[in-house]
Formats: sequence, structure tokens, C-alpha cells
Amino acid sequence: MTQSYEVFLGCAIPNRFNNYEASMRLIAKELDIELIDFEGASCCGTVVLKSIDEDSWLALSGRNIALAESRGHDIVTPCNGCFGSLKDTDHVLHDSEEHRARVNQALNEIGLEYTGTTKVRHFVEVLYELKDVIRDKIVNPLDGLRIAFHPGCHLLRPSNVAGFDDPELPRKVDELLELTGAKSIPWNLKLRCCGSPLLIASEDVATQIIKEKNASAIESGANCIVTNCPACHTQFDVQVLGLKDENEQSLELPALFVTQVLGAAMDLDREMLGFELNRVSLDPVKEILGL
Amino acid sequence: MMTESWGQFKTFEGKKFEALDPEFTKEVSTLIGGQDLTACFQCAKCSAGCPVSDKVNIQIHEVMRMLVFGFKDVLDTDMIWLCTTCYTCQERCPQGIDITDILFGLKNMAFRAGKAPSGYLSARQGLYDTGRLYPPTEWEREDLELDPVPEFNIDDTKKLLDKMGLMKLEDDTQ
Ligand code: SF4
Ligand code: SF4
Repeated sequence: MTQSYEVFLGCAIPNRFNNYEASMRLIAKELDIELIDFEGASCCGTVVLKSIDEDSWLALSGRNIALAESRGHDIVTPCNGCFGSLKDTDHVLHDSEEHRARVNQALNEIGLEYTGTTKVRHFVEVLYELKDVIRDKIVNPLDGLRIAFHPGCHLLRPSNVAGFDDPELPRKVDELLELTGAKSIPWNLKLRCCGSPLLIASEDVATQIIKEKNASAIESGANCIVTNCPACHTQFDVQVLGLKDENEQSLELPALFVTQVLGAAMDLDREMLGFELNRVSLDPVKEILGL
Repeated sequence: MMTESWGQFKTFEGKKFEALDPEFTKEVSTLIGGQDLTACFQCAKCSAGCPVSDKVNIQIHEVMRMLVFGFKDVLDTDMIWLCTTCYTCQERCPQGIDITDILFGLKNMAFRAGKAPSGYLSARQGLYDTGRLYPPTEWEREDLELDPVPEFNIDDTKKLLDKMGLMKLEDDTQ
């Protein structure tokens, strides 16, 4: 039952979270998911280009989809930003003849066409479908891991575009995480944006938001944050470094990728899961993860 | 202190609402997601769940009111660029208004009018020149036995972005 996808990494993962890619590839191999290199991918455009010029964003993002389409493949991405951008593009180009015509006119000049046959999926969507297979592969239960899971915005919303989980009460990735014996605990600001898209307009406001987020996670009794997105992870594992609350208490909390948690529970090679590259100290959860 | 080119509309106090522009409301209604704009009945549910409501001068439901009134100063509110694009408001609006998508269109308008945070200008240049927002970190990839990120044809994306006029957006404004 091999599944096969072109893997769309985007810019942020190869830039600063090679541990996410490495752990994703390890899990994929374990689960017999074929990941084909995405030849010729550019940036997905993300909310940055969409904010500057929607036509350019549709063209750049549409080109990526059209490339996979020309090779007859579906796309999988482990990044919420890329997922949101590609899905949203697909949604607009599917619904609006006017936009589709304009984008295709530009794409034709570089020998491509968007027709909308290629599916775009997030890696956690694919994992969720393989829940039962994953359950059978858990050999190293992560008892004691109390996870504040951060789904991120574009995995869920707008729900008519993302089409993955309940936008107000998501549970699918939590279910996956709990297969490991870990607990996904409720926390007040779970659905709140991490603030990462604001790093380009105002690092100050982005910092205020990540402080609120981590304070909420810490208050809930979590001993780690888990994400499925490199943009969110930038806030939780990079921007958070050195931040303190008003009582001078550190706001850092170990930040893991969903694939690293699953990989540790499957007892895969810790070194290849890339834990060395996590920035916030993993000391509080080291033993549970077997590091 | 340097004055920012964006977010200069900070309060409604002392503002006169006479020069309202129905054409502007119409223009925004034709943006992606703008079709239901005038259905806004000002319940402020959008602002209630917005992560930056307590951090902006003008909140999202006020932006919506300005749009319905055709109040073009909306392009100078900080809400436009401090919207994180989280889609919480759009998901919850009882009138089904595509609020976040409308904000993207407003960002486009503000950008063309030279009212954007400087980070967006350098991001545009980088995207045009390299086709990416950030370059790969090769040494880390080697340590984890990851193959190099596949190359791509930068001429193609430049051709595409030239065709869309990405580097000449500001010329559109009269
Ligand atoms: S939630 Fe919708 S109807 Fe209510 S104020 Fe906001 S935009 Fe208007
Ligand atoms: S999408 Fe923007 S305006 Fe809407 S709730 Fe999120 S930050 Fe606020």
C-alpha cells in the first residue's frame, strides 16, 4: 500500500529546520510512503507574496502545482505555510475562471498549465490516514511527555480551503501524538496564532504573541510544545530564546516536531531524527525521548 | 524617531466622515473574498477572537466599518499589516464574510501606494532575484545525510513575475 508524493519542502525547512526534513523522511521510509524530490520548486509565495500582490502569488504558487501536475504526481508538504499557500491557490484557481485564465496565460509562456488534477496534502494528513499502521510501530512509549500541541493556523483555517480537521476543536494530530503514550493536554491559547507571519512587519508584536503563547503552555503544565510547521517552529524554537515573563521566569519550553515525537516512539535513530539541532534545551524531556 | 510609512491612522477622534467614497467600497467588493463585504452588521465577533486586537490602534471590526463606509484611510491603519493572517475572524464571522482574504487585498493596495513595512520590499526583491525567501543551510543537511535541495530555473520564475508586473506594482497608482 505504497503512497507516493512529490515532497514540497519550501524555503524555511532547508534553511533552519533540517531536523524536520530528516525526521519526516525517516518516518516516511518506515511507513512506506514514497517521497519524490520536487524538481524545479520555487518558494510557495506564502502569505508574504500574497500580501504584496495576489496575481504574482497565484502565478508563482500555481507554477509549483503545475510542475507536479506535468509529472502526474500529487504533492505533500510538511509546512503549514506551503500547505496553506498551495491549497489556497488551488482553491482560487479552481473557483475563478478569470484568475485561472490569467495565470495559465503566464504559465503557458514557460510551457506549463494548471488544470487542477494534482492534490495538495499536509504530511500530517497522510500520517493520520496511517494511524493504525503507526500504532503497531510504537515500541518506545513516551509516558510522561505532556504535549502542548500547536496545530497552527493554515493547517485548519479557513476550513473550507484546508479541509483537514475541525477548525474549533481539532483532534486528529492530537490522536496521532497520543498513540505514543504521550498526553496532548488542553491549553488556553492552543488555537491562537504563533505570530510568526508578523516577524516581517513587527518583530515586537510577534514577540508579544509568542510570550503569551508559551506562558499559556507553561501554565497548562506541558513539558514541551509540538508543531507541524517550520514557520511556527521559528517562534517556538528560535525567537523564544532568552524570553522571560514579568517575574523573570524563562518562557522557553522544549519545542519538537511531530515527526520527532513519532520517530522517538518508533525507536528510530535519534541522531538521524535531528534532536541535536533543536535550539531550546531538551533537558526536561531528554530521558522520556531516550536521548 | 523615524516615521513609518504605514499604520499612521491611529484614532477616529477628530476625524470627519464626510468624504466617503462609495466607489472605494465597490472596488474592495471586487477583491478576492470581497463579495459579501457590505453584509457586515458590526457584531465585532471578528475582533473578539483576533490575536492582535489588544495590540493595534484600529481593530478588525473597525476596519470592516471603514470599508462599508468607503473610508479610504483604512489603508493607513496598523491593523492591515499587523494581521497575522490567522483566519480566525473569517472562520467565525456570522455573515460569512471572507475577512482575512479582504485584508490581503487591502495589503496589496497599501503596498502599491507605498504604505508597507520595509521588510516586504526586501522580501519582494529576494523572491524576484532568487525565487526563495531563504537559502538552504547545506552543512546541516550533510550532517543529516540529506541530499541537496533540487535546483530550479530562476529564469522561468523571473519571466513569470515580470509578466505579472511584480517589480512595477507602484506604477499602477495614479
Ligand atoms: S464578525 Fe463579520 S459581521 Fe461581525 S463585525 Fe466582524 S465582519 Fe462584521
Ligand atoms: S486573520 Fe487577521 S484580522 Fe482576522 S483574527 Fe487573525 S489576525 Fe485578526
